[in-house]
Amino acid sequence: MIRLDRVNGLASIQDLGRQGQGHLGVPCGGAMDRFSLILANRLLGNEDNAPAIELASGSYEFTFETSSWVALCGATFEARIESEKEGKIDKRPLWHGWRGRVNPGERLTLKGPRQGVWGYLAILGGVKVPEALGGRGTFLAGRFGGHRGRQLASGDSLSLNAPAEASFSRPVGAVHRANDGILRALPGPEMSQFSDQDRKAFWHGHWTVSPQNNRMGARLSGEPLDSGKHLSLRSHAVLPGVVQVPPGGQPIVLQADAQTSGGYPRMAMVIEADRWKLAQARAGQAIRFQHVSPNQVEDANLEWQHYFYRLARAMDGS
Amino acid sequence: MQTTIYPLGERALVLDPTPEAPLSWAAQSKLCWIAEQLRHLPIVEEAIPGMNNLTIVVRETRQLKAMQARLGELWQSAPTETCESRTIEIPVSYGGEAGPDLHAVAKYHNLSPEEVIKRHSEASYQVFFIGFQPGFAYLDGLPERLHTPRLATPRLTIPAGSVGIGGEQTGVYPLASPGGWQIIGRTQLALFDASRNPPCLLKPGDRVRFTTVEICL
Repeated sequence: MIRLDRVNGLASIQDLGRQGQGHLGVPCGGAMDRFSLILANRLLGNEDNAPAIELASGSYEFTFETSSWVALCGATFEARIESEKEGKIDKRPLWHGWRGRVNPGERLTLKGPRQGVWGYLAILGGVKVPEALGGRGTFLAGRFGGHRGRQLASGDSLSLNAPAEASFSRPVGAVHRANDGILRALPGPEMSQFSDQDRKAFWHGHWTVSPQNNRMGARLSGEPLDSGKHLSLRSHAVLPGVVQVPPGGQPIVLQADAQTSGGYPRMAMVIEADRWKLAQARAGQAIRFQHVSPNQVEDANLEWQHYFYRLARAMDGS
Repeated sequence: MQTTIYPLGERALVLDPTPEAPLSWAAQSKLCWIAEQLRHLPIVEEAIPGMNNLTIVVRETRQLKAMQARLGELWQSAPTETCESRTIEIPVSYGGEAGPDLHAVAKYHNLSPEEVIKRHSEASYQVFFIGFQPGFAYLDGLPERLHTPRLATPRLTIPAGSVGIGGEQTGVYPLASPGGWQIIGRTQLALFDASRNPPCLLKPGDRVRFTTVEICL
């Protein structure tokens, strides 16, 4: 059991999302940065999909009632594990990208992030929450999934899945991949209906993440792409990664909790290997799109496979 | 018949068989049937109908080619009338606090509020697909006389159950959400409940009628 003594920010339970619910209007949801969640879970030997705590900017204090291991990945939160012995407070850091042991009665404090947007705190065995519509992550707008269908609040308690004995005894860390702000993308179905100038502006222009940016989508600002204004489309399914261009000409890149259908022109589709970069980009951060071929998409997926392969090799015997 | 199938990103295909033809339930029922056939295949992650189109997400990119061929065949072989049609009644309190835009809609069309309610509740609607929000039904059948532009400034929050008109469409917001539709009433009926099986009240093919439980002018 973990007691959430203080939750001062948007925190929710997330996994890798739902599948096969789109025709009910239910989005995929799940972690905004899936790779960081997977990394945190792998550092603990959890299943990739084990529910963890997703943290946005703020400060948090959690008390562990049982001994456990935790791993902190994604946005760089500053974290400390505190214990009190004979009136003296003993503090030790939990490094970003590392796993660390927590003993009963110890308190984990988190503050940040310094870089990025979404942090992931995975716990040995995963947070125990009921399944809702094929997933355990919180769909905040729909008020279901995760912990009571809502964001975490001070005073909540979280149950943990019966912790299998940890198969390791040492802390281990992993270096995160750098976020270069370059979103590799494939052209979308309506791209050819935009003017040459707009297509050039899209691929070669500099975009900035606007403050209108949440779990559903990120609006970008830059030179408006207004040659698609006249396009009137029938409603169609949309997925995370789709770049929509509404009549104002400022693109919106859909994220994990995006609506399941839309009617704006689909300019491009950010590849799955790079979606995390936008999720972790803050308002004001510069973004560029890079046109890739299907072969390059495969290479991008292989980069991630290699990353996790190297991690597994490094953790072998740890 | 020509079928149009195009890719969407690295793992999805869109079947858009009748881009030039007017919207039709015949095409929609075929697409819904195809979605049902494909949804349970292990290689299919999502099968999501849109308005006379269908998006299929497969698990791996290399499965796209086979799926493309399959979609073409299914479109040719799909039966035209498939869904058993239910009629679902949605009881609505029109006007007042539940329907703050009723008067504006009436004024826009030079109708009395009673006349707007009468036309809205006398029409029969058909569910084309569920999308946008959990349980939100795209309905066909709003009488032309009630087509009304969306609000110039969307509201930040609209209560769950709100019944609105947006352009040529009418519908019910299943969840509290921001929105730009003209809100003319509200229903107590839950359009979506994650703990129910199935979670959505409506499904494609259903006929919908709005019944008047209360009018507040």
